[in-house]
Amino acid sequence: MIVAERKPLAEIRSFVEDYRRILILGCGTCTTVSLCGGEAEVKIVASGLRISFLHEGRDSEILEDCITRQCEPEFVEVARQKVKDESIEAIVSLGCGVGVNLLAQLLETVPVFPGVNTKFFGAVVEPGMWLEMCAGCGDCILQLTGGICPIARCSKSLLNGPCGGTRDGKCEIGEDVDCAWALIIERMKSLGTLDRLSEMLPARDWSTSRHGGPRRLVHTEVANVNVQETEGEAQ
Amino acid sequence: MGTNPMPRVESTVHAPCAAACAVHTDTRQLVEFIANGRYEDALELLLEANPFSSVCGRICHHPCEQSCRRAKVDAPVGLRRLKRFVMETMADSRHLRRERNIPQQDKARVAIIGSGPSGMTAAHDLARLGYKPVVFERHATPGGLLGQALPRYRLPYSVVKEDIDDIIALGVEVRTGIEIGIDIKLDDLLKDGFSAVLIATGLSESRTLGIPGIDSRGVQLALPFLLAAHSSRPVENGKRMVVIGGGNVAVDVARTARRLGAEKVTMVCLESRDEIPAWPWEIEETEEEGIVLMPSWGPKSVFSENGAIKGIELKKCLSVFDSEGRFRPQFDESEVATVAAEGLVIAVGQSGDLTCLEDAAVELVGEGRIQWDRETLATSREGVFACGEVVSGPGSAVEAVLSGHRAARAISHLLETGNLLEQPPEELPHIGDLPDDVASKVTLLSPIGVSVLAPEERVKGFEEIETGYSEADALREARRCLACTTGALVDEEKCAACLTCVRICPFGVATVERTAAMPQDECQACGLCAAQCPAAAIALTRFSTRQMKDQLREVVPLVKSQSRATPVIVSYCCLFEVTGRDFLRSAESTGPGRGIVPISIPCVARLSTADLLSPFEVGADGLVIIACREDSCLYPTAEDRLLYRIRQAKGVLGEIGMEEERIDYWKTNGSAEVSWGAFWALSQKKLGEILNRKGE
Repeated sequence: MIVAERKPLAEIRSFVEDYRRILILGCGTCTTVSLCGGEAEVKIVASGLRISFLHEGRDSEILEDCITRQCEPEFVEVARQKVKDESIEAIVSLGCGVGVNLLAQLLETVPVFPGVNTKFFGAVVEPGMWLEMCAGCGDCILQLTGGICPIARCSKSLLNGPCGGTRDGKCEIGEDVDCAWALIIERMKSLGTLDRLSEMLPARDWSTSRHGGPRRLVHTEVANVNVQETEGEAQ
Repeated sequence: MGTNPMPRVESTVHAPCAAACAVHTDTRQLVEFIANGRYEDALELLLEANPFSSVCGRICHHPCEQSCRRAKVDAPVGLRRLKRFVMETMADSRHLRRERNIPQQDKARVAIIGSGPSGMTAAHDLARLGYKPVVFERHATPGGLLGQALPRYRLPYSVVKEDIDDIIALGVEVRTGIEIGIDIKLDDLLKDGFSAVLIATGLSESRTLGIPGIDSRGVQLALPFLLAAHSSRPVENGKRMVVIGGGNVAVDVARTARRLGAEKVTMVCLESRDEIPAWPWEIEETEEEGIVLMPSWGPKSVFSENGAIKGIELKKCLSVFDSEGRFRPQFDESEVATVAAEGLVIAVGQSGDLTCLEDAAVELVGEGRIQWDRETLATSREGVFACGEVVSGPGSAVEAVLSGHRAARAISHLLETGNLLEQPPEELPHIGDLPDDVASKVTLLSPIGVSVLAPEERVKGFEEIETGYSEADALREARRCLACTTGALVDEEKCAACLTCVRICPFGVATVERTAAMPQDECQACGLCAAQCPAAAIALTRFSTRQMKDQLREVVPLVKSQSRATPVIVSYCCLFEVTGRDFLRSAESTGPGRGIVPISIPCVARLSTADLLSPFEVGADGLVIIACREDSCLYPTAEDRLLYRIRQAKGVLGEIGMEEERIDYWKTNGSAEVSWGAFWALSQKKLGEILNRKGE
């Protein structure tokens, strides 16, 4: 799950204060589930902006909507039509950064502003709290680390065990941050596979991650694209 | 101003209370109306279902309560008493309503024989359909046995009269002192311009017993005894009385005899204690009044001296019914007992009096029963129908009312189409039992009692033994309703399966597979999931704040323009703390002049964060939320959830540079009447200081 957090209203307001018809657009998938961009949050943001504009004597109109996913052109089309029909001048997207990008791409003349800060790929550890668990590095090594990702969960993304900053299972950067390598070692002990950590690994190829530039993924069972061509392009 | 419920969602399943009522009174809706102070709507609802609502508010055997799902938690909701409360409180409105509801009567004349609940209900319905019903009653006053024989300590005649007068006000003509079959022949009715005849004569004849000595002086039948007692005619009543029978009529006789001065009353019945057919609460009250119960005894002979009863000999009854459930009592003749008495009343059942059918060419079957079709309500003679106990056997008042409704439909259909109408019995599907694991999580609330005369006071006369609810009590009792069938509904299109509802449901009811679901038979309609759903995908069937926001948009700017000096505060208040609707009305009408816009809500924990912000959107300077008293919320965790949302709303205000102190949270202290005004004053003062500081 992509996890995000709503931006402070004062910041959102600063994006849109020069517009008169503003659409707050929620996303019905990841940001709904991470409690910052669903229809309920759209109402809160819209309400906050209206209250603020009312006090400043501004005469802007705030509209509300929420689409199923902002990362799909077909769903965005619904919003595009609304923008056209309702003469929207600016959009505040409560979708993740992906949503803002796609909206911006498909809505040529209307500015799209981010209403949330997209944080990470995470899991719920208790109601209302998420922890980062994946960095989307493009070459998963969880089979080697007991299912616990050192790239996402170690502060230094170390691949060769804990550093000197580990203390009683916690990371030196903060008491509420687990040391990923302490978790990995405990986990592999309980699995009886601790000895696998002594195996030598080849140097990691980081080109699958951000280091290789913007990434593209093709499913040829759906996309009619020449794979060779695509791979060549990606490189 | 209140939260208006969403347009009613027609559910295919009903609350068990409504399904159990013979006339399907929507008791759940009734309680909701009462809780919201909408007594006029409650009155309308009751009278639409049952023109004998005043009577039923007193003496209904309340199957609604017997099926109330709250019984599994602590005790059923006092639905009958709530009905009585509405009928008593709204007596004046009922009179005014009469004048508004007089129907045009330009259709055929229909003769109705008998003015008990079935006949009068049929007359009521036919009059409303535009017919001209004429009711013939052989007694001097209408009401049937309800009016003539039911002891006044259970049902004062004035109560029967309220219902009867209401029906008469529709244009129903009641001709008393006329016995059809003697004074007028049924044939003549049909010849004299009545298009149909309805026989609704009830069971007006007491059965007797064929035992030796039964003709002794001092032996009486139940109905003549009750009729005489009711009309204050002299009643033969010995110092020691025996009543034979175990039904509700026997109980009425025994308790009446006690009130007429009998020092010792013994009730003898064939049935064992567990099988006694009278309602258990009647038996309980009977014993409280010192009446001796002798279950499992049957009468053997009456012994007398000089023709006057001296007592009765009894034989042990081993069983009453055979293996197929037929009445076939078995006795042990060797085990006998005697009870000395100066009077004996036989209350072993009633039969119909078919005098009205003299020369009427209406066929009888068996031992003198009217040949009758229970679905068309037709007799063998065209245009002659029958309803009520005379055809269906002994039953309750509300069943008689149902029978009257059906008869009116049957007659109207015949007169309009020339055909008989098949009316199969109608059973409403209901949501079933409250599951045990949910029941164990529901907050306990003791039922609100009423004051009841002490047994030693009761037996001194015929004063009604039970008082009605006060308004405060009725409102407290209404709060106990579990609001069955009004739970959460999920918009599956919107649901993101985020599990928030599952995580916060205090009753462990919400589930998520592909989307969320709150099974209707389990959901307690607290609304916490709806208030918290990030997709706004959950709504309560009977609660929405949408209209509240529209009302605020109208009212707040108006109040603001009228009271410039005063900070304008919207106050969301827990409806359940109000002990009288006048207070609410007065707060709603005088509040705005002082800058307070009160909105009562059945549990403020149902408000979402957006609801908490909306007053500010429309220009309110502040928001005051007044919850219920400490430890009195119906829903576990609800207050904590509300406090989290208040924190969130304050955070939003802070983010846009407004003071978080503009939102105040209070808990009712004592009652709404006592504490709310003080809270408003304190919040207004604080807000005034904030605004002064800012120079607003």
